[in-house]
Amino acid sequence: MSIEELAFLALAVVALVTAVAALLVRELVHTILWVAVFFVDISAIYFLLQAPFLGVLQLGVYAGAVTILLLFGIMVTRKRIFAREAATGISEVPLALAVVTFIFVIAVVGELPQTSTPVRSYDPTLLSENLFGTNGPWLLLLGLIMMGAVAGSIYLVREGRE
Amino acid sequence: MTDLPLVGFVALSSALFAVGLFGILTRRNFILILIALEIAMNAAILNFVYFGAFSGGPGGLSGQAIAVVLIGFAATEVAVGLAIVLALNRLKGTINVAQATDLKL
Repeated sequence: MSIEELAFLALAVVALVTAVAALLVRELVHTILWVAVFFVDISAIYFLLQAPFLGVLQLGVYAGAVTILLLFGIMVTRKRIFAREAATGISEVPLALAVVTFIFVIAVVGELPQTSTPVRSYDPTLLSENLFGTNGPWLLLLGLIMMGAVAGSIYLVREGRE
Repeated sequence: MTDLPLVGFVALSSALFAVGLFGILTRRNFILILIALEIAMNAAILNFVYFGAFSGGPGGLSGQAIAVVLIGFAATEVAVGLAIVLALNRLKGTINVAQATDLKL
């Protein structure tokens, strides 16, 4: 087993454990801490897949911005920051649905070629050419949607709205 | 260049998606639902990068480019979600989604 495969196994285990822990702990602030570890772990997987640009983006956008945004959301919506959530428990139907989804995808994965293929590294300049050339329309669409989202968010949270 | 098995990656992202789906369906707190949504979204974005990396050629770059765009979409979605959290908190005094029933007939 190569060092990359070992690294991937370790990262996969950490990702699963932190994702489950984030949803099961009772304090919301602890959830944010677990999910921050999860985002950093996903960024490490991007580095493993030879996509360093995405890894840095994941660190900046998710581990940085989204985590802090969620913390602010908690800060302004509750009186005691470390208050515990009421236990929601684990209901059967959603658990069964999640397990069925997982089994379905695994069954599809069985049909995939079982070989391991080399993962190539790319020059970031090629990525930027691809991003602004071939996939340019997507980037423009992203800009438009972000603009609409900013306007919508401001409309939702502004003072004096009835 | 590194050699990695494709099946392990797809299994990981499907497991993460299942965890996220479970969280979306069971949690009552709006912020926890947003977090579960982000976990599921991350699993989906990972798929683009794996399959791009494994297809090789220009496909690898397309996968990464689409992942960049999707990370932007996901961040936008969190921002709008938190705006909804704030509006809900102002209207109801709580962010429990079970109490957001104003549109029910």
